[in-house]
Amino acid sequence: MDETALITSAQQGDLNAFNTLILHYQDAVFNTAVRILGDEDMAQDAAQEAFISAFQSIKSFRGGSFKAWILRTVTNACLDELRRQKRRPTTPLEPETSDGEEMDSPKWLADKSMTPAQKAEADELEHAIQHCLNALPTEFRTVVVLADVQGLDYTEVAVAERVPLGTIKSRLARARVRLRECLRSFEELLPSSFRLEEENAR
Amino acid sequence: MKNFRDIENLSAYLDGQLSASDAAQMEARLKSDPELESALRDLSAARGILRKLPARKAPRNFTLTRNMVGLKPPLPGSYPLFRFATVFATILFMCSFTANTVTPFFSFGFGGAAAPAAYGGMGGGGCDGPCEEAAMEEAPAATEEALMQAAEPAATEEAAPMDAAPVATAESAPMATETTRIAETPATKEGESEAATQDQAVETVNQAPVEEEAPVPFTWTLLFLFISIAGTVILWIMRQTAKRKWR
Repeated sequence: MDETALITSAQQGDLNAFNTLILHYQDAVFNTAVRILGDEDMAQDAAQEAFISAFQSIKSFRGGSFKAWILRTVTNACLDELRRQKRRPTTPLEPETSDGEEMDSPKWLADKSMTPAQKAEADELEHAIQHCLNALPTEFRTVVVLADVQGLDYTEVAVAERVPLGTIKSRLARARVRLRECLRSFEELLPSSFRLEEENAR
Repeated sequence: MKNFRDIENLSAYLDGQLSASDAAQMEARLKSDPELESALRDLSAARGILRKLPARKAPRNFTLTRNMVGLKPPLPGSYPLFRFATVFATILFMCSFTANTVTPFFSFGFGGAAAPAAYGGMGGGGCDGPCEEAAMEEAPAATEEALMQAAEPAATEEAAPMDAAPVATAESAPMATETTRIAETPATKEGESEAATQDQAVETVNQAPVEEEAPVPFTWTLLFLFISIAGTVILWIMRQTAKRKWR
């Protein structure tokens, strides 16, 4: 696949060329959206929105890493979605007792940590990691997803996030520390093969 | 617990983002500082876990359609011209149609005045302008003509016994009519009835121009309608052809 030629054609309005690029990057885009949003349906919407937005603004692409550019688009779409959610938060219905009366102070409201049932549900590497990712502030989450999940280097992440390299370095370090702390609580639940491994430093 | 600058540098070291000299310095510190080494292991473990995350495949293709991105088939250069002409003709048609339809409802004096004027010039009022002028222009001629026609038989009737009036003129007509009235012959009655018929004709003649008095001629309205319909059809054909070519 001649990516540069496809990008040039897409910039001239060739939708087929852009669709070829989509087929190449759609997994990365969707995966990024799922990890940032933590929901498949929302991730699909965000990915579709990102591709539409990318086609409409592809003329602004001035070279460099196309993957970083397209991931920036999906990151922005995800952030928009998260902002929308913040503006219109969904309030769960009050649970009812067996008599059909509303509970005044349900336990699940008082206790912010996961319930045993939820922990059992998260007895899986993916769920546990996603839970910890969701607990991260958005700006840390996007950086860690782009760097550690998508494997972009610092410069690409800086391009995608439009922040200085030093900020990326700092956010990534903080995100990793927080993730490590969060994942400690799941260590007992995870199978031994998935327990935090100590990678040799290089 | 290490300060955050150390953690940042450790994280960068892990990713190979430190310069060669900084990396060598960090390695030397790691050998001598077990706490720093433990922090590196933590960071490395967190990164390793994230890398183990299974990559989610896209559940469907996200390829775009022309509708999704609002792309439209390229239309011929003459399309805007046709569109403008069609819209303009439609507007003109609507205006002329409205004007022609609405005008009679707002000018009752128009038609109402015409009748009395035709009957003898009495009454009137409310019929100013073209209506009255038309009546004034048309009435004498028509009356003259009618009277000439009406006078002819009378003159002929009278000419026989009197051997007069070889040629009946318009001026002689009133006199002839008066004479016939005095004589009260059946021939004059016949002439009167014919004159009445002619009066009706005069009335019709006087009313006819008022009915045709539309602000926009009917042929123009028809022409505007034709252009707007033809333009719409042409535009539709142009769009369909462009779409077919685009596919």
